[in-house]
Amino acid sequence: MPALALQHVNKVFGHATNEVTVLDDINFEAVSGEVSLVIGPSGSGKSTFLTIAGGIQTPTSGSVMVQGQALDDLSGKDRDALRLNRIGFILQAYNLVPYLTVRDQFTLVDQVKPTGNLDESALRHLLEQLGIAALIDQYPAELSGGQTQRVAIARALYQNPDIVLADEPTAALDSARVKVVGQLLRDLAKAHNKAIVVVTHDLRLQEFADRTYAIMDGQMSLN
Amino acid sequence: MFLALREIRHEKLRYGLIIGMIVLVSYLVFILSGLAYGLAQQNTQAISSWRVDRIALNKDANDSLSQSVISKQAADKVKLTSHEAYLGQTGVVAKAKGQAKLSAQFLGIDRDQLIYRRLKVTAGHKPTKANQILVDDSFKDNGYRLGDKVTLNAADGQYRIVGFTHNAKLSVAPVIYGSLGTWRTLSHLTPDFQASGIVSARANFQAKGLSTLPMSQFINKLPGYSAQNTTFSFMIGFLMVIAMVVIAVFLYILTMQKLPNYAVLRAQGIPAKVLVTTTVTQALLLVVAGLLIGAGLTLATVLAVPTGVPMSFNLPLLGAVTGGILLTGVVGALIPVKVILNVDPVSVMGG
Repeated sequence: MPALALQHVNKVFGHATNEVTVLDDINFEAVSGEVSLVIGPSGSGKSTFLTIAGGIQTPTSGSVMVQGQALDDLSGKDRDALRLNRIGFILQAYNLVPYLTVRDQFTLVDQVKPTGNLDESALRHLLEQLGIAALIDQYPAELSGGQTQRVAIARALYQNPDIVLADEPTAALDSARVKVVGQLLRDLAKAHNKAIVVVTHDLRLQEFADRTYAIMDGQMSLN
Repeated sequence: MFLALREIRHEKLRYGLIIGMIVLVSYLVFILSGLAYGLAQQNTQAISSWRVDRIALNKDANDSLSQSVISKQAADKVKLTSHEAYLGQTGVVAKAKGQAKLSAQFLGIDRDQLIYRRLKVTAGHKPTKANQILVDDSFKDNGYRLGDKVTLNAADGQYRIVGFTHNAKLSVAPVIYGSLGTWRTLSHLTPDFQASGIVSARANFQAKGLSTLPMSQFINKLPGYSAQNTTFSFMIGFLMVIAMVVIAVFLYILTMQKLPNYAVLRAQGIPAKVLVTTTVTQALLLVVAGLLIGAGLTLATVLAVPTGVPMSFNLPLLGAVTGGILLTGVVGALIPVKVILNVDPVSVMGG
């Protein structure tokens, strides 16, 4: 059973002459233990795909299954719980709460989800792997773009989710950091049996992917 | 609570300004309430100290003690018990050698009756002779001493201060207690007149041939009392409404500024309930902090203002004002709740 599956998903915005089809009959599967890459240019529908896959947005038609559970059957509250417990989001923008230190970003997760998160040593290891262990008491405004992005990655992984959905996780990183993040995501998939889905236009991540999808004008194909 | 406290700690200036605004609003409301209550008290302190329920006045006096005179003939038709007392009232100007003139209310009372029995003396003793008077403490604040000889209006006689009593004010003027005979002299009345009115501690007291009314009604008809209370009530009411709007607008703007952060948190599965609780908790923390500082400032002001300023507080009044401002904060915080509940996580997802 795939960890995440989209079947014949369509997403249409607007009405009549203003109607725009953003996703057109998308079929997608992400399997535990694999990194799935969705590559496409800006405006291709990548982020819409990701929000629908994560249950933030509902499709106009088609179905989304998370670990065999149809999102259509879930209430808004249950979808919140699903995102909190099983899905980790790495967002492209506004990744962190500006008035929380790096440490407090993790404490916030503990406040709303007291169990199932990484323990102290696993978190320290993750922060060291990402090269941000020394930034633990800094506020987001004191971090560079790349550091912010890496903290956002750590924050998403701290919840220990089964599925990680990442929106351009390497947009602000140099090539060396791209390798670190790519390898981290790959290790996470292999060693911890997570399903990793990355939407990006960064071709440097291709070498870490088990399968690569291309998305263009709302249509997706498996390369 | 966690998010609320962390944000306040990080955004000290922003939240400091909001707390400052709530401090000013609560300080203003507290001071105005204190002045309103203090002034109302000074209209009725003496009456309150008698602990009476009803008053009988001349039917033609329009429920005004100062306009009422009861003849001996009319008074004799009313059977008095130990719960009633005659009361003669007239405005006077008191003066003593070397002291400033003081405008006061002279109240003539009978030594065998209720009011005399209920008077509490803070220094000296109650008058026992016709030329003795018991005066409000404010005389002491103005330099008058026990034993001072006082002249009242242009009358020939002199009256010796034999005692002081606390909180004896009527229509914002200090009270001088003396005999009914002195009242007649000051009012240029013959012994054919008994008193201005009859007060009673009995709730069912009725005086035949006179107009009998409850003290609450009598107090409301004291000159200027209702108008003054209504004015203050409106001022405080408008202030509370304006404070509510201002606090609500501030909290609304704050919440709108936080929506991108809330959208991220919603995307990550943080329940909307947590964000709503955070917003309301934060508003309550700000309002409580503002109220505490406002109350501290009010206390400092009370200690600093001269004793003549009519300012006093009571717990129900303070409780109502504090509750009102707290409610204001909660209502202000609840207005943007719908926006928080509907925050769209998609808005923070990249294109």
